[in-house]
Amino acid sequence: MKIVVTVKLVPDTNAAKRIDPATKRLVRTGLETVLNPFDEYAIEAALQLKERLGSDTTVTIFTMAPETGKETIRKALAMGADDAVMLSDAGLEGSDVWATSYAMAQALKKTGFDLILAGGLSDDGNTGGVPGALAEYIGVPALTNVRKIEEAGDGKIRAQRETDSGYQVVTGPLPALVTVTMAVGEPRYASLKGIMGAKKKTIATTSLADLGLERAVGTDGAKTEVIDISAPKPREKARVVEAPDGATGARAIFDFLREKKLI
Amino acid sequence: MQHVIVFVEQKAGQTRKVTYELATEARKIADVLGGKAHAVVLGAGAAQLAEQLKAYPLDVVHVSEDGDVDKYFLDPIVDYMESVARSVGPSLILVPNTMLGRDVAGRLVGRLEAGLTSDVTDYRFEGGKAIGVAPKLQGSTITACGFKNTDYGISTVRPNAFSAKAGGSGAQIVAVDKPAGKTYALLIENEVEEATGEMGLEEAPVVVSGGRGLGGPEPFTTLLKPLADALGGAVGASRAAADAGWVPYSLQIGQTGKIVSPQLYIAVGISGAIQHKVGMQTAGTIVAINRDGTVPIGEFADLVVVGDL
Ligand SMILES: Cc1cc2nc3c(=O)[nH]c(=O)nc-3n(C[C@H](O)[C@H](O)[C@H](O)COP(=O)(O)OP(=O)(O)OC[C@H]3O[C@@H](n4cnc5c(N)ncnc54)[C@H](O)[C@@H]3O)c2cc1C
Ligand SMILES: Nc1ncnc2c1ncn2[C@@H]1O[C@H](COP(=O)(O)O)[C@@H](O)[C@H]1O
Repeated sequence: MKIVVTVKLVPDTNAAKRIDPATKRLVRTGLETVLNPFDEYAIEAALQLKERLGSDTTVTIFTMAPETGKETIRKALAMGADDAVMLSDAGLEGSDVWATSYAMAQALKKTGFDLILAGGLSDDGNTGGVPGALAEYIGVPALTNVRKIEEAGDGKIRAQRETDSGYQVVTGPLPALVTVTMAVGEPRYASLKGIMGAKKKTIATTSLADLGLERAVGTDGAKTEVIDISAPKPREKARVVEAPDGATGARAIFDFLREKKLI
Repeated sequence: MQHVIVFVEQKAGQTRKVTYELATEARKIADVLGGKAHAVVLGAGAAQLAEQLKAYPLDVVHVSEDGDVDKYFLDPIVDYMESVARSVGPSLILVPNTMLGRDVAGRLVGRLEAGLTSDVTDYRFEGGKAIGVAPKLQGSTITACGFKNTDYGISTVRPNAFSAKAGGSGAQIVAVDKPAGKTYALLIENEVEEATGEMGLEEAPVVVSGGRGLGGPEPFTTLLKPLADALGGAVGASRAAADAGWVPYSLQIGQTGKIVSPQLYIAVGISGAIQHKVGMQTAGTIVAINRDGTVPIGEFADLVVVGDL
């Protein structure tokens, strides 16, 4: 079985970020690029499946990102993925959810797969829209918020998907796209052997010219545009109350809520 | 984009408060755009819920009680939404920013070749267009985003961001035909309820959340639940608490959990990591209880009570 994991490269979560007022895009210079933390869980789910299904199962990392992201992709290979495909092209800059999904879909059709695993949400885009739109363009079922893949193979998948109040067991055909939740298990660390091995693994690149898209992507093709950006209203500094015992603490909260007319 | 269509999330005739918020906002947007306000209600219980929606200022409520909606995962909903959107014409589609809402939105981006603005907390109008305002980049920036190159725009809208107001002269209720020639691939074999009452976490006016500092599952029931009940609110949790198995993941608040915007948020034994912050920082008032006065949550709370639990 061929598993492809879609991994976004994002600026380090904990770093302070700003949008360039001129281009209205995130300033990426000076920000360390990391694997979208959520997508590491998708990689973990893929590697678990590979362990279960045996050696004729392969895991390919797919990303749409500038070529400068190659070294970050090696981290995914060091975790145990077999190879990677990068869709890189200056013409993709400024792509929104629609343009990203549309371009990625055409590239993924070329890559081929039995199962696509994706994260649920990207750290920077934060829309969660890409996997669903991607599934539409590729023409495969989209099974979302999966916490456990019970079975996958022989053209069938059976999985538990999280709901607001519990979970559902859902069955469907392969090929399919699956988004995972963090309940699939903590992403593994790369071993030293993994890191060494990753250096020799293939990272193939494709560009827009290879895809022959029918529609414009990037800033021109995007279906959304940022009109303006602003800073949020700063919150007032917190009032701090030392509470040596529970009664003092409870009193402080009660008085504060009274004052705010919340009780 | 002229009309507005609200996707109504519902189960057996029960919906979320956000539905009424969206119905109210849909009217306002439709009036500015010069179009009509529609809503779509699907699945068992839809007809009954549609009657209730008549109390809100919508023009048309599209209804189907098709059993496939509850039998198969998502695809029937996407087909019905597409069908209504195409018959209504160029429109802005409002869906709640919930687990299901985000799923619906993503699929419709592909199906309708649409733009998506996510986690909208306000709308602004310029040149007859609706522009969604949303916090981005972990809340560090407020972005105003509009649509272009498309007939359809989709917004996931944060619950509790808009107020609900009944009114209007009673929407017309119309039955939607079953989209023809469709087969559904994802069969829901069974459904397991692990926790009850959490449908309301996103819309609760007060959320009392617990983190690793609680030290175990007991304080959730002995301390947090009674407090939440007394304040008319719901119980939430940090990921650390959910990971520890003290509460189900459905209570987790944050980037990879629920995004809440209550009037009052009380964080007990939660440090306020960035991934937690993005899920609750737009709360009206934030109270933190923590034994350490220097934790990150102190930077965005209104009151910090420093004490051992
Ligand atoms: C991709 C990704 C997504 C994530 N998504 C989320 C998310 O959606 N939601 C989320 O919450 N987290 C999320 N996290 C995890 C997040 O980074 C933090 O690890 C988590 O929020 C910490 O939870 P906590 O505040 O309960 O625990 P801690 O950070 O350990 O904080 C516990 C707090 O309790 C206090 N405390 C301890 N004992 C006592 C006591 N006796 N009395 C009073 N105070 C006490 C401590 O001082 C401390 O401040 C995510 C992480 C990643 C990598
Ligand atoms: N540029 C990208 N390259 C690869 N995967 C992506 C990209 N953008 C989004 N994804 C996938 O889609 C998921 C949701 O992202 P988003 O819709 O941006 O919140 C991520 O967790 C990734 O799996």
